[in-house]
Amino acid sequence: MSAREVFLVGLSHKSAPIDVRERVALTGDALRDAIADLRNADGVHEALVVSTCNRVEVYVQAGDDAAARRFFTSRSPQSGDHLYVKGGVEAVRHLFRVSSSLDSMVLGEQQILGQVKEAYGIASAAQAAGTFFSRLCNRAFATAKRVRTETDIGRGTTSMSQVAVELVEKIFGDLKGRSILLAGAGKMGALSAKALASLGADRILVTNRSPERGAALAEQVNGHFRDWAELQDLLAEADVAIVSTGAPTYVLTREMLAKAMKARRHRSICLIDLAVPRNVDPACAELSDVYAYDVDDMQNVVQSTHEARRGEALRAEAIVEAEVMAFARERETRAALPVLVHLRRRAEAIARQEAERTLARVGAKLDDRGRRSVEAMAQAIVNKLLHPPTARLKEAAASGDGALAGAVAELFGIPAADPGPRDAPATAAAGREAAPASADRGDTEQPARAGGPLERQPTR
Amino acid sequence: MSIVILRVAAALYACATAAYIVYFARPRHARLATAGAALLGVGFLVHGAAIGVGCAEFGGNEFFSLRGGVALMVFLVAGGYLLVQRFYRLPTLGAFITPFILIMLLPALFGTPGNPELPPETLRRPSLTLHIMTAVGGVAIFAIAFGAAVMYLLQEREVKGKKFGALFLRLPSLDSLDKLVQRLVRLGFVVYTVALVAGTIVATQIWKSAWSWDPKQITSVVVWLLYGILVQLRHNGWHGRRYALLTLAGFVLVVGSMVTLKVVPGVTRHAGDYGANAPTELRP
Repeated sequence: MSAREVFLVGLSHKSAPIDVRERVALTGDALRDAIADLRNADGVHEALVVSTCNRVEVYVQAGDDAAARRFFTSRSPQSGDHLYVKGGVEAVRHLFRVSSSLDSMVLGEQQILGQVKEAYGIASAAQAAGTFFSRLCNRAFATAKRVRTETDIGRGTTSMSQVAVELVEKIFGDLKGRSILLAGAGKMGALSAKALASLGADRILVTNRSPERGAALAEQVNGHFRDWAELQDLLAEADVAIVSTGAPTYVLTREMLAKAMKARRHRSICLIDLAVPRNVDPACAELSDVYAYDVDDMQNVVQSTHEARRGEALRAEAIVEAEVMAFARERETRAALPVLVHLRRRAEAIARQEAERTLARVGAKLDDRGRRSVEAMAQAIVNKLLHPPTARLKEAAASGDGALAGAVAELFGIPAADPGPRDAPATAAAGREAAPASADRGDTEQPARAGGPLERQPTR
Repeated sequence: MSIVILRVAAALYACATAAYIVYFARPRHARLATAGAALLGVGFLVHGAAIGVGCAEFGGNEFFSLRGGVALMVFLVAGGYLLVQRFYRLPTLGAFITPFILIMLLPALFGTPGNPELPPETLRRPSLTLHIMTAVGGVAIFAIAFGAAVMYLLQEREVKGKKFGALFLRLPSLDSLDKLVQRLVRLGFVVYTVALVAGTIVATQIWKSAWSWDPKQITSVVVWLLYGILVQLRHNGWHGRRYALLTLAGFVLVVGSMVTLKVVPGVTRHAGDYGANAPTELRP
């Protein structure tokens, strides 16, 4: 990695309470301004800010983490106590874990990846994210995608209303042409009815002991109010019944259901009892084609989802680790390339010089073909001589060994800019040699391009 | 020759079965389902070639033996499933149908095929061909309905038992299975009805009597009635578990009677025993 290191300074639901998080969280123009400020701060090369309701994280590619820290302390002085600071591989790992939803409040939730993508989009538009963050973020997104497709971390349902939706889906497929009955005015009931309406239900029928509240609820969920006395008939009509009344006894009894099932000719019915104490007699479930669930059943599903996801998280961590290592290795390889560029450039310059000198002395006696042979010989010597060290350097860099590149730089008197030890200051490197490899923002892009011919030549 | 081609088809079916089963275990790899369908399709074509070559070799007589009949039925089950999966996105059904195809086909892969001694010329009439094709076709459709009903009952147990395990996630919704069973039963019933009508015509022509209390005739009518009742019950609005159970029972009766009538020698005038049992009646 280059002298400019990637730093992360941030706080999340794990480290800071909501009142600290809300003080530093930014959206829209405020976020864009803050990123521009960061980008213009001294020593900051590139910047990225991930700001969601659960976390605010500032990633910078810079000489140190001062500017990133200031981002927080200037907005909320007490946020300093809740910050976590990570550098280098640690910061990379953190971003990969966040993108893969391994650091989320609800493990495996799907929104975070979109949020990180959005953050990258904003930073990119503000010209704060350059080649480094482009590469880093793309790798993070690829990692998140791998985690999602190769593990079951995103599987299962994490909320009660989602569980209800999934159950109903497994019974009816969708609810087109069917109706939902909402009995009772409980808050959870209305939420679940709304979630279920997304399956395309034709109607929501609402019933309640008190007609006033029932009518209001019907309006709220966009349903039709029916009198409580019709409950028995409604059971024959609706395919999903959500029951959440405040009644201390069973509102739906086995007899009622048996009667309803006869009228339904055993078309399946799904009963969702959200009330505590329960409103649906558990004996209803004994009837054929009646599928009844209570709060505990649904909670168990949520619980087992969390357990399964925790298990999958271990596999996900392994993927993240592999990706972090791959990213780091890639960086090392790129870092080694400038040495190669310098080495080859210098060798070729010498070869050219010597060929010209020779030709100046004996060139008159040679025909065109002879002159070309001399030039070719000089080039061939360079190629043959440099082939083994080139290969070895690339190998060493790929396996994360930066020492060899340093040694080559030392041995041949090549300025140890990007390829050198990590703690070499970037500004000094840029000052000593205005090589394209280290002079501008494209520090990782250019050596790659310069490395193109290098990779081809030795094979000739 | 036909047996070699049939074995190739069986190998393809085995690959399709493997693909579908692995797909069932790892539903994330959707390509496996596609591969399974493709393998099944190729297996189906090869199987068709085997039947064609077999007809050329033995003059179609092998359909009168249990192994030949079963091979033909399996062929139609594979074709039927390929059709079903074009209209319904139910790749998990493949994991239930393909093993069935494979197991049913296994006995036909060994031993010598056909019965070259029996080329009853009197049997060479279109009504008989129609009778055989529709009878086997109807049973093939009932077989697919059986597979779907098994899936229904498995899923029903998951949904009811609140287990929400691996099966729960993989099997389609109860409603889609219920509809599929019902449609297959209806279609199978229509095809089977044609088989009975054609069979009656053949019997009148060859045996000089439409009804001769042949055990095969009796069981066929019982099966026909059972599926007819199923169609009627659905018409009356029957749904759910009971319907799936009846479909299951219907197919058990079909396979049970098929095997029994073939295993007990001389019990029916149908099929391969036909010539041996009633040679005199053959001559008009």
